[in-house]
Amino acid sequence: MHPRSLTEQLGDWIAEGRNRIGEILILRRAGGWRLTHREDAHQKELAVATDPHAALAIARLDPSGQWRPLRAAPTLRRGWALDLADLAVVRLALEFFYPGALGNYAAWREQRLQPTPMRETLDRQTGMYRITQLLTDAQAGELVPEACASASRCMKTILWDLRPGEPIRELPSDKRDPGATGPDTIPLLCSEACNLLVAAARETVKRSRA
Amino acid sequence: MIRSAVPLVSSREMLHKPHSALILVGHGSTVNPDSSAPTHAHARALRERGSFAEVVSCFWKEEPSMREVLRTVDSDDIYVVPAFISEGYFTQTVIPRELGLDGPLTTIGSRTVRYCEPVGSHPRMTEVLLHRAREVAPGIPESETSLLIVGHGTNLNDNSALAAKEQARLLGERTGYAAVLNTYMEEEPLISKWAELTETPHVVVVPFFIADGLHSYQDIPVLLGIESEPVDPASQRTVFRRNPFRVRGRELYYASAIGTEPLLADLILDQVAAFDRRHPPCTPGA
Repeated sequence: MHPRSLTEQLGDWIAEGRNRIGEILILRRAGGWRLTHREDAHQKELAVATDPHAALAIARLDPSGQWRPLRAAPTLRRGWALDLADLAVVRLALEFFYPGALGNYAAWREQRLQPTPMRETLDRQTGMYRITQLLTDAQAGELVPEACASASRCMKTILWDLRPGEPIRELPSDKRDPGATGPDTIPLLCSEACNLLVAAARETVKRSRA
Repeated sequence: MIRSAVPLVSSREMLHKPHSALILVGHGSTVNPDSSAPTHAHARALRERGSFAEVVSCFWKEEPSMREVLRTVDSDDIYVVPAFISEGYFTQTVIPRELGLDGPLTTIGSRTVRYCEPVGSHPRMTEVLLHRAREVAPGIPESETSLLIVGHGTNLNDNSALAAKEQARLLGERTGYAAVLNTYMEEEPLISKWAELTETPHVVVVPFFIADGLHSYQDIPVLLGIESEPVDPASQRTVFRRNPFRVRGRELYYASAIGTEPLLADLILDQVAAFDRRHPPCTPGA
């Protein structure tokens, strides 16, 4: 077992000054912690919940009621606060808001996070996604910056290369730098192309062959 | 004959694993918000019981992925239970590959991962199906009722069609329904032919799926004639369905997917207990 639990590590990171993750602020308050949307830091009228499972419902749909299959999309709704007693439940709530993010960051800090190159991800696809193996390097260079754009699609930092040692050069450099979000932030890290990007790659290949 | 499905008493009541993690693996969906809901609900119920140090979920189509999930737990002793309706392609190929498992017991560094059978394979699923059927049509005489279990059918290497058939056989033997039939969306006997397949004034249909997702909430109601076209996902709908439906001169009762049944949380613990009986942990209570 790791000498420090993920809950203890979260406490360490907050003590370092990292009280932001994705669109969320982690605030110390009397008797515990408050999580809220970063745009709501000074908002007075918030719907307050105290059960970490409320995070599942908050994270589920965007402000227009659409399903958020990718939780790192910059579409978290506002108007809520979660008042939580201790860091163990803060960790649980953050797991619902940004699944896997704390574990990925802990592994990355200890150089245990091994990203999977995009080619490896695509080459492993079967069935209807096998066609993504035909995505050209040029198409990947066009697709990834658009499909993973931080401002509109996904806030994660991309750690994987197209091939080992061969990053997607069309990506802005800050999209590949876990430190770019600043010393007050627990970065959201992407160690492998997700289902949504693979699906987008399929559409690109299909369109180019039509 | 099965009288009641509720008192499911077994070894899980003794289950106390304060140094172990439980990981539930669900399918999830990039398009339907209700696909992962039952897995989250069962995880929450089990978390609140406190049998394990940690209870987490992961998904094939949602986050966290199976490739990330081991990083989200602290425990070195980890039980994995698939929230799937049967053994098949996912439980035998996808989950072991994605989690890096090489059998029921896998050692990864300092960790032991114990890979249990899917919840839907539990022998008491028959009772859970009956519980759901009786709940959806309370007070309706079973001798005047046909019970239809509806599965997907035609999936590559998916045993859910066979499992649905076996459940229908067991329910036919153990209950007083006029008939119990297995039906499918995409293969014979087709659920769309329910009126021809049955003769009773009452028909109860229970979807043999984990979630009220695309198939059980949107597709099957159209095949049954309850809806004329697919509706919005359950959670995004403002009009709720109400049983019974009067269709083709019958009273039709349509249940939620069996995977949404809260009793499944008990069966998940039972799958862990069953795993321990087959592969006893070295340290008592570990």
